[in-house]
Amino acid sequence: MPHRNLQNPENMEDLRINFFRPRAGFMRKEVTIIWLTLAAWGVMTFGMPIHLAFTHNDPARTLSEVPYIFGIPAYFWYSGQFLILWFIFLCFFFNILIDWLGSSYRRRR
Amino acid sequence: MEYSVRYTPFFMLACVLIVSLVVGLMSRRQDKGGYGLQVRSIGHANIGAAIASNWMSAASFLGIAGVFFLNGYFAFAYILGWTGGYVLLLVLMGSQIRRFGKYTAPDFVGARYDSSVARVISAVIAIIISLIYCVAQYKGIGLVFAWMFGIEYTQALIFGILVTLAYLIIAGALKAARNPQMHYLVLILSFVIPLMMIAKKLGYNWLLPQFSYGNALRDLPEQVSSAYLFPWTFGSPYEWIALCFTLMVGTAGLPHVLSRFYTVPNTRDARWGVVWGIFFIGLLYWSAPAFGAFARNWMERSGVAFDPVEAQAIADIIVIKTAEWVGVNELLVSVLAVGGILAAISTITGLLVTAAGAVSYDIYYRLINPNANERHLLLVAKGATLILALIVLVIAVNPPGLIAQITAVAFALAGNTLFPVFLLGIWWDRANKYGAIAGMLVGITITFAPILFGHIFPLLRTVLPPTSSALIGAPLVILTMIIVSRLTPPPPEHLRRFLVEKVHSP
Repeated sequence: MPHRNLQNPENMEDLRINFFRPRAGFMRKEVTIIWLTLAAWGVMTFGMPIHLAFTHNDPARTLSEVPYIFGIPAYFWYSGQFLILWFIFLCFFFNILIDWLGSSYRRRR
Repeated sequence: MEYSVRYTPFFMLACVLIVSLVVGLMSRRQDKGGYGLQVRSIGHANIGAAIASNWMSAASFLGIAGVFFLNGYFAFAYILGWTGGYVLLLVLMGSQIRRFGKYTAPDFVGARYDSSVARVISAVIAIIISLIYCVAQYKGIGLVFAWMFGIEYTQALIFGILVTLAYLIIAGALKAARNPQMHYLVLILSFVIPLMMIAKKLGYNWLLPQFSYGNALRDLPEQVSSAYLFPWTFGSPYEWIALCFTLMVGTAGLPHVLSRFYTVPNTRDARWGVVWGIFFIGLLYWSAPAFGAFARNWMERSGVAFDPVEAQAIADIIVIKTAEWVGVNELLVSVLAVGGILAAISTITGLLVTAAGAVSYDIYYRLINPNANERHLLLVAKGATLILALIVLVIAVNPPGLIAQITAVAFALAGNTLFPVFLLGIWWDRANKYGAIAGMLVGITITFAPILFGHIFPLLRTVLPPTSSALIGAPLVILTMIIVSRLTPPPPEHLRRFLVEKVHSP
């Protein structure tokens, strides 16, 4: 645990902070949560335009082939409205996890 | 162009500005009980409303609808960039920056990188961001005033600058506090209620115009409708993704968004406030495209031809135009106009104050005259406000693009400079002042090269569109920072210890 290490003079020198090599304990778990959220953010946001870029080049065909929801193409609704809900959910989920992590570490300390 | 004065919106605007000053005076008196205590008792939703009211500018209120009116699906890159950026901010650095405990971007950069050069560069960047942002706001004000008084854009712009400066001076002299929750409520209601009436007039579901605008789009002639619905009519996938990404990293690096994290008593409240903040911002963004869709729908019904040049000219006040065209009550049309002006004025006052602070404190006091006293600094700040307003006026006379596009350039600059500096400053102890300085300089170059040299090297604008340069720019700047930091000595030990013990401990 990082905060114990700090009180131990032998380990005083280790002050490394690196997102890709997080310190054991709190930071490693925190970074795991961050990676999870970032993945869910990136895939959902940029996955749709990348998918559309590869599969849909012809307006007439696209609009007759894609599924519809609320009277508009599903991808249209997804980008214009659903993703904002998804962002809210992601922040909610992230906060719950960070709250849990923080309180468990503060208790241990 | 019709040249007639519209009195209703004018009187409404005058009333609203006076009322907001009076309310500001009253809330100043209530505040004496203790700011922190009051905030704690009012909960996360209020923090979220404050985040949203700080966020909602003319770009949100007027700009997005205009982009959708012109470019359909492409506008979603703006909407998602300006909401998804908060996820990035919250997840990557919200808590850590808060624990770092520096209130402005130059303060953070100066402290983290232990360098006054880095501090001054970041202050200059913060000032340029404010200036670009203000230009976009003033374009909105100029257009609305031109519509309101039936005068030319330039005259309206000068009048608008005088009004905002007067408001700033009066509010400053009265020490009026802003009530962000009320401000948000006024803005969102003055956006959504007229929209509902527009939907009703056109015969669509008025309770949820956010959903019924899809039908308004489908009812257009097939060619028009498919242009709006098809994702790549108005921009390539690269342009869409680059813009969306740029706005996201820009949001996470924008100084006035970051400083919102400090007006809240603790980190946890700030984090939960963001959840509400995105929801409140989302309410506006779910609705904004509907204006564009209903406008187009009305044009088709009334047989008004869609002239691209004219559409470009009115896109930024399409919110107001739609209401007027469709024929909703004059009061509601005025509400929209006043809402747009309010959003712009509040953003401008915040940004000008921030920028003037950066000039007087980070540049004048730190660099030119360290012996200056407080009165002296205040004088410099006031002078800086005037000069900044003049610079904004000069640029805004010939606005280089749509409101949303101009604003996006400010985001590109933030994403190319401050975002990497914050990110590595927090997540890599080895990042040092040389890396930060080199990174910010590269970032400034990447942001402005396509604008300054784009006409000589057209390829530059294709690869790095001015609004969207951070998809390539931010990673390049991060790489620059890593290489330069590795080649130069590590930052002092006390800074790295501070990062471990303070910034990264639970």
